[in-house]
Amino acid sequence: MKNLMKLSILGLLVVFLFSSCAKQPTQQIDEAKAAIDAVVQAGGNIYAKEELKKLNDDLQAAMDEVNTQSKKLFKKYGKAKEMLAKVKTDAEAVNALIPARKEEAKNAALTAQTEARAALDEAKALLEKAPKGKGTKADIEAMKADLAGLETMLTEVQAAIDSEDYFGARDKALSIKDKAAAISEQINAAIAKVKR
Amino acid sequence: MEQALLQEQDLWRAGASVFAAEEYEKYRQSRSQALKLFEQEELKVGLFRNYEKVRLEFIRVLAEGERIRQLIEDRKASLTGEIKARRNDLYSRYEILNTLSLELSQRTLSRKQLAQADVLFKEIDRFLERADYEQARSRLNSAESLINQAESILRQQLERYMSQEEIARWRRMAERAVEKSKSGDQPVILVSKLERKLTVYKGGTVLRTYEVGLGFNGLSDKLHAGDNATPEGEYRVIKKVSPSKFGKALLINYPNEEDLRKFNEARKKGYLTPASRIGGLIEIHGGGKDGLTQGCVALDDTEMEELFRMIAVGTPVTIVGTTDPNNKIIAILRREKK
Repeated sequence: MKNLMKLSILGLLVVFLFSSCAKQPTQQIDEAKAAIDAVVQAGGNIYAKEELKKLNDDLQAAMDEVNTQSKKLFKKYGKAKEMLAKVKTDAEAVNALIPARKEEAKNAALTAQTEARAALDEAKALLEKAPKGKGTKADIEAMKADLAGLETMLTEVQAAIDSEDYFGARDKALSIKDKAAAISEQINAAIAKVKR
Repeated sequence: MEQALLQEQDLWRAGASVFAAEEYEKYRQSRSQALKLFEQEELKVGLFRNYEKVRLEFIRVLAEGERIRQLIEDRKASLTGEIKARRNDLYSRYEILNTLSLELSQRTLSRKQLAQADVLFKEIDRFLERADYEQARSRLNSAESLINQAESILRQQLERYMSQEEIARWRRMAERAVEKSKSGDQPVILVSKLERKLTVYKGGTVLRTYEVGLGFNGLSDKLHAGDNATPEGEYRVIKKVSPSKFGKALLINYPNEEDLRKFNEARKKGYLTPASRIGGLIEIHGGGKDGLTQGCVALDDTEMEELFRMIAVGTPVTIVGTTDPNNKIIAILRREKK
């Protein structure tokens, strides 16, 4: 009887040891989440969308594993810890990628801005050269006003670059470039009309 | 199983979290369940493993994924259709206003807004190509606001040309001019600003017609010096000037009594500053019909030479907005209403 009592106490002790010593890896969870937050802060939603999704999926898988283990009598968080550590390492790697991608987007925006500026200047120069004679004066006034409108929009490109909206800036700059090129074509057509 | 993993990535790339968020979440849960089932089978001893249930579960997940893919495509198509329809409606308005703006003598009116709207249309097309509907919508709103501004500017200037009352008044003025040409030997000049046309009548019939240029703000009625508007009213030639700054010129008696009355009334009502002056020196001159003047009526030099020879001091000159009750502004804006 005495022995049975001893065995029961020992058994309970073992169960207690196994179930309470394996604590949830809260520190690893926090670290993995912080690493993902850092990616988001650095612009991961814009510059590393796919990678960020994978990180979130991996974090979710790790959290599922933590949950599964937490419901077991004999908890083993080893696998979850490994998964969380990988999420953290991967997040740090993704974070390191972002500055280069941001720089690339910035350069693309700046290139588009330069191209738009050049297209606008070209149209303005053409307009200066255009013969202000019969059949063109009023058209030239209209095109001058059009170009003034584009000039205002070009300041919006700079504002977008300043606020680090590089993709938006690039799109706007390319659209301005297209419109300026279309105006140049109109001017050339007007010049050709006069020459005829 | 591999297929299910790839499918989930594809769905996400296609925008499942945006276009079918609820369905996508349920799909992800089903996929996780299927994976768990698989893991449970893997834990069993070889002989006891049975993957049939897992296989069926993944088939169900894949079918659900396909349904979501179709749903995303449908929703995208519907959104694209909706945005494109709005874009095309707006673009039709843009085209009408653009045509109108270029038709006017003051072609600078609302050009800035229209040029900017056109850039926004190009941006919208780029966003639609990338299925970025939020940005496309935002640019649509901006384009609409610019088009409304352009329309408002044009309407302010053109409202008079849509008023049947105003057109009837101009028609009466024009009829009086033609009547005058019937009595006596001298010709009469009638200028119709909207049509940019100067007609010489003699004996009640058209003798000559010339195309003309007007002021920078030519479609407005002149009220004061510096408004660049071309006056409307019944005048006469008071001096023949040769040479003038713009070839030959016929000076008219602007301001007449009616102009003075309107000017004084505007000043009394506080529409004009005390420093405002009524101005003068309104001529019909050469220099080119395509020129934009400060309010004068301009003809090509050769045609001005001809008119100059034909016209004597004292010739009546009537300047009206238009005499056409179905003029191009009404026609264009009517098209816009459709």
